[in-house]
Amino acid sequence: MTSIESDSEVAARLEIEDTQRSEGWRLLREALTAQRRNLLLGALVGILWASFKVAVPQMTKYAINDGIEKNGPLLRWALIIAGLGVLTGVLSGMRRYIAFRESRWAETLFRERLFSHVLKLHVGYHDKAQTGQLMSRASSDLMQIQAFIVMIPITLSNVAQIFAVTAILFITDPVLAVIALIPLPFVNLSARRFSHRIHPASVAVQAEQAQLANVVEESVSGVRVVKGFGAEQVQFDKLEKEADDILRESMKAARIRSSFIPAIDVLPALGLVGVLGVGGHRVLNGEITIGDLVAFNVYLTLLIWPLRNIGMIVALGQRAAAALVRINEVMSTKSEIVDPIEPKRLVSSADGLVGAVKFDKVAFGYSAEYPVLRNFSVEIKAGESIAVVGATGSGKSTIARLLLRFYDTQSGHVFLDGIDVRKLSLKDLREQIGVVFEDTVLFNDTVRSNIAFAKPSADNATIERAAKLSGAHEFIQRLPLGYETVIGERGFSLSGGQRQRIAIARAIVADPRVLVLDDATSAVDPSKEGEIRDAMKTVMSGRTTIVIAHRPGTIALADRVILLDEGRVAAIGSHDELVATSARYREVLANMTAASDPERVTN
Amino acid sequence: MWAQGGVTDEDKLSRAQARTVIGRVFKMASPFRKTMLVAFLCVCVTTLCALAGPLLVRRGIDQGIRAKDSYSLNISVALYLVVAVVAYVFGRAQFLYLNRTGESFLRVLRLAVFRQMQRQSMAFYDRNKAGVLVARMTADIESMAELVQWGLLQFIAAGMLIIFALVLLATLSWQLTIVALLVMPLLIAASIKFQRDSNKAYLLVRERVGANLSALQEGITSVRVIQAYAQEGETIQKFTRSNRELFKSHEHSVRVSTWYFALIEFGGVFASALTIGIGGWLVHRGDITLGTVVAFTLLLSSLFDPVQQLSQLYNTVQSAGAALSKLFAILDAQPELAEHPGAVALPATGRLEVRGITFSYAGSETSALNDVSISVGVGEKLALVGPTGAGKSTLAKLMARLYDPQNGSVTYGDVDLKMATMSSLRERIVVVPQEGFLFNGTIRDNLRIAKASATDDEIDAAIAAIGATEHFATFPDGLDTEVRERGSRLSAGERQLVALARAALVDPAVLVLDEATSNLDPGTESEVEHALERLMTGRTVIVVAHRLSTIQRADHIAVIADARVAEYGTHDELIAKNGRYHALATAWQKSQATS
Repeated sequence: MTSIESDSEVAARLEIEDTQRSEGWRLLREALTAQRRNLLLGALVGILWASFKVAVPQMTKYAINDGIEKNGPLLRWALIIAGLGVLTGVLSGMRRYIAFRESRWAETLFRERLFSHVLKLHVGYHDKAQTGQLMSRASSDLMQIQAFIVMIPITLSNVAQIFAVTAILFITDPVLAVIALIPLPFVNLSARRFSHRIHPASVAVQAEQAQLANVVEESVSGVRVVKGFGAEQVQFDKLEKEADDILRESMKAARIRSSFIPAIDVLPALGLVGVLGVGGHRVLNGEITIGDLVAFNVYLTLLIWPLRNIGMIVALGQRAAAALVRINEVMSTKSEIVDPIEPKRLVSSADGLVGAVKFDKVAFGYSAEYPVLRNFSVEIKAGESIAVVGATGSGKSTIARLLLRFYDTQSGHVFLDGIDVRKLSLKDLREQIGVVFEDTVLFNDTVRSNIAFAKPSADNATIERAAKLSGAHEFIQRLPLGYETVIGERGFSLSGGQRQRIAIARAIVADPRVLVLDDATSAVDPSKEGEIRDAMKTVMSGRTTIVIAHRPGTIALADRVILLDEGRVAAIGSHDELVATSARYREVLANMTAASDPERVTN
Repeated sequence: MWAQGGVTDEDKLSRAQARTVIGRVFKMASPFRKTMLVAFLCVCVTTLCALAGPLLVRRGIDQGIRAKDSYSLNISVALYLVVAVVAYVFGRAQFLYLNRTGESFLRVLRLAVFRQMQRQSMAFYDRNKAGVLVARMTADIESMAELVQWGLLQFIAAGMLIIFALVLLATLSWQLTIVALLVMPLLIAASIKFQRDSNKAYLLVRERVGANLSALQEGITSVRVIQAYAQEGETIQKFTRSNRELFKSHEHSVRVSTWYFALIEFGGVFASALTIGIGGWLVHRGDITLGTVVAFTLLLSSLFDPVQQLSQLYNTVQSAGAALSKLFAILDAQPELAEHPGAVALPATGRLEVRGITFSYAGSETSALNDVSISVGVGEKLALVGPTGAGKSTLAKLMARLYDPQNGSVTYGDVDLKMATMSSLRERIVVVPQEGFLFNGTIRDNLRIAKASATDDEIDAAIAAIGATEHFATFPDGLDTEVRERGSRLSAGERQLVALARAALVDPAVLVLDEATSNLDPGTESEVEHALERLMTGRTVIVVAHRLSTIQRADHIAVIADARVAEYGTHDELIAKNGRYHALATAWQKSQATS
C-alpha cells in the first residue's frame, strides 16, 4: 500500500478481505463436509497409528528393563514390538492413501464446479477475464488447496502423537520431560518461520526465471531480427543480467535455508544432550531406570517430525486461504445473462416460414461511455438474406452478438419470430441461430466431432451432407484419416479456408432458423475466396441469413444491404440501389476494396 | 515429495553417456573447484557429527551410568554438546557452499548454452522448434535447480552416511551388523521396485495433467462458440471425463506408494525389534554391552533413511542427467555461418550479384533454389514474385546471408558475402521481415536492437527519416513507452513502423523486404506505405512482393518458379512476353473486376 489510507478505509478494506476469506473457507468447508465420512475415517486411522507408534518406545523400555537388564522373557518383548511394527505399517499406509485420495477427489470436484461455472458465465465476463488467470485458478490454486487438505489427517495424527508423547514423558519423569521439551517448541517455531520466509524467496526466484524465459523466448522467436541486425550481444547482455538476478535471488533463498534447516536439525539434539546429562545423573541416583532413559531418547525423536509438519501446515493453510479467496472471486460471480423464469416457446417450424428477426430501437455499448448501436432498427423477413456493411467499429459484428444474446441491449428489443430474445430460454434461442465467427474456432477433436459440434448425435449422412454443402467434403477425404482425422491446435493443421469451411459445415448441421456469417475471408488465401463464397451461397438459400461483410464480393450474395454508420442504419436497399443513391455507401465500398487488396497476385 | 521429475525410457542415459555427462559437468564446474571442495568437507563433518551423537550416548551409558562414573558421564554430555554446535555451524556452511557451487554452475550453463544458441545460423532455428529451444534454457536448466538446492547435498550426505554408518556399526558389533544387513536387501529391493512403479505412475499423471489443462484451456478460450451453439452441457461432460481420468491416475500413483511407505514404516520398527531381541541375547551372553544395543537402535535409522533418500533422489538425478545431455548437444552444435578468419569489410557501395546458387534446406530433399543467377545494380529496385514456396523468400534470405548457398556465390561489390565481416554485412544489408517483431522494453530499446551504440539523437533522426516522429509523439511517454508483452500495446502497423525505423537507424545500402500478406489497420496502413517509400529512396531494394502496386514500382521483376528464375525484365517487357507474369497480372485484373 503506497497511498495513505484513512482508518475507515483500512477498516472497510479489511472487512471486505475478511468476508472474502470467510466465503473462501465456506467453500472449503462445504467440500470437506461432503467427504466427511472418509475424512473422519482418515483421522481415526491417523490417531490409532499415533497411539501404536507411541507404544513402540514404551515396549522398548520394558524390553530393556525387563528383558535385558533382568534377564526376563526377551523374545516376548521382541515379538510385541514386531507386532506393533505391522500395525503401524498398515495404519500409516491407510492414512496416506485416504489423505491423498480424499484431497485429490476434493480437488477434482472443485475443478469441475469451477469449469462449469466459468463456462456458463456471460460473454461480457470473458471479455475482461484473462485465460491465464482462469487457468491458474483451476490448476495452481487448486493445487494449493489439495496440498492443504492432504495434510489434515496427518496433522490430526501429529497432534495426537504430540499429546500422547508429552503425557508419557511427564508421567515417567516430569523434570526430565521439561528439560527434554525446552528446545522442541523452537523446532515448530523455526519450521513455521522457515515456511513463511522461504515462500516469497522462491516466488522471487521463479519471477526471475520467468524474466529469463522472456529474454530467451523473444530471442528465439525474433531470431530474424537478432540475426538481421547482429544484435546477439545485446540479447546476451540482457540474458546475463537475468542469469545474475537468478543467482542473486537463489542465494538469498539458500541463505534462508541455511539459517533454518541446520537449526531445525540441531535443536532436538540439544534435548538429547539434556536428557543424557540430567537423566544420566538421575539414573546414577536411582531415581529412574536406564530403560526410562533410553525410552526418553526415542520419544524425543518421535516428536521432531510432527512438530515440523505442524509448522508447515500453518503456512500451507495460509496459502490455501489465499487460493480460496481467488477461487471464490470467480465462483461468486453471477452470470448476467440468464434464462427467464418462465420462458416462452418459439413457434414450430411446421407452422410456416420461420426465422424472422427484428431489431427495434436498440441501443448498446460494451461500456456505458461508448455507445456502439444507437436507435438501431431493422426488420429481416423469414428466409431473407441481408448483408451488413459499415466501417470498422460501426457495430456490424455486435448485431450478431445481440441476436445470440451474448449481451443484453441497453434499451430497445431484439425479436426472433416475434418473441423478445430475453423471453426465450438461452438453449432454445441459441439452437436456432448458427454463427460462423470471424475467427474460426476448431476443437482438438476429429473432423466429424467438429462438424457435429452443435448436434453431437448427428448421423454420418447429415455430417457428410453438411460438409458437401460447405465445400469441405473433398479436402476432408484427402486428410490422412478422413473424417476421423484429429484437427485443432494439437492435431492436423488446416489452412484458413479449410477451417472456415468446417465452421460453415458446423452451422449447417445445427440447422438453425437464422444463419449469421461473419465473413472473415481475411485469413484466407485470395484464390480460395471464390470457393468459400460459393459454399456460403449454397447454405444461404431458403434460410434467413445475416452476412457481416468485410469484402465487396460477399455483399453480392445478399438480397438486401444495410449500411451501418455510427450505430444507426444509414441506408437500406439492394446493392444497386445503394450504389445509385448513397454517397456514404460508395465511400465505404471504395475503402473496403482498398483494404481487401485484390491486388495480391500470389497464387 | 516422493516422485520428482519422471524419466521416460528414451531419456534414460546409457552408462557411457552418463560418464561423459559427469565428466563434462566437472570440467564446466572447475572454476568453482575450491567452493566445491569446501562444501564437500562440510558435508563430511556434518555426517560424522550425525553419527557421533548415538556413540556419545553409548559412551555415557556404558562408561558413565553403568560404571557409576559421573565425571565420565559429564564428559560425554559436554562432547555431545560440542558435536551439536559443530553440526550446526558446518550445516550452515554446507548449505551455502553447495548452493553457491550449484547456482554458479547453472549460471555458467545458462550463459554458455544461450551464447551457443545465438551463434547458430538460421538453419539451426529451422531445425529446432522455438518451444524446444526455450524449454532447454528454462525447464531443462530449472529441473537441475532442485538438485542443486538440496538434492546434491542429500545425495552426497546420504552416500557418506551409509558408508560411515556401516563401518561404525561393524566396529560396534559385527553380530548385530549382520542382523541389520539382513533387512537391508529387502529395503533396497522395495525401494527400487517403488521407484520404477512410481516413475511410471508419475509419467501417466503428467500426461493426464497435460491433457486436462488443454481441455480446460480449450473450454475457456472457445467459450463464445460453445455458448453460441448451446453446448455448455456437452463440453462440461467432456471435461469431466478428462478430469476423472486425471483423478484415476492420481489415485493409481497413491496406491503405488501406499504399500511402500507401509513397508518402510514396518521395516524400521521390525529392525529395532530384531536388534533388541538378538542384541539382548548377545548382552546376556556377555558379547556386547547394553550401551551398544541402545546405540544400535539409534544408529539403525542412519543406515535405513539414506537408502530411502537415495532411491527417491534417483529420478531427480536421472532427469537432470537427461537434461544435461540435451544441453551438451546444443553446446556441441557447430555454428554454420561463422565469420571467415580472413574476413574483410564490405565496400560502401556496389552491385549485389547472385551467381549460380543452389540451395536446399537441411533435411529437405528438393532444392529450394536451383542454379539461380541475378544481379541488382546500385540503387536498383528488384521485385521477386511467384507462387508460395517457389523460392522467392529463400532467394531474398540468401542475398542477405541468412543462409549460405551450397553452390555458387553471392557477392556485394565483388566481395563474396562469405568473406565479409559479420558487422559490415549487417551494416550494408538489412532485412525487414513481414511482421514487425518487438522485444520487451521501450520503443527506444527496440530501435537499439539494430544498433546498440545509437545515441538518442540518432534514434530521433531514424524516426524522422521514416516520417513517424509525429505518430510516436502521441504516445504517453513518447519513445520511452513500454511496448508491453511482444508489443501488444502497439498496433500491427505501429510495430511495422518500429521495424522500419530500425532499418533507418542502420542506414544500409541494401534493403531486403518481405512484404506483408495480411492487411494492416486502415489507420496506419498509409503511414507504413509512406515510411517504406522514404526508406527505399536512394537504396538498393530487393522486395518479396505480393501486391501489384509494389511490383509496378520496381525497376525489374524476377518471377521465381520451381526454384529457378523463370522470367526477368521490366513490367512492360514481361507483359509483352505473354508468359507466367502475364498470366499472374491477368488473374489479378479479373479478380478486381468481379469484386
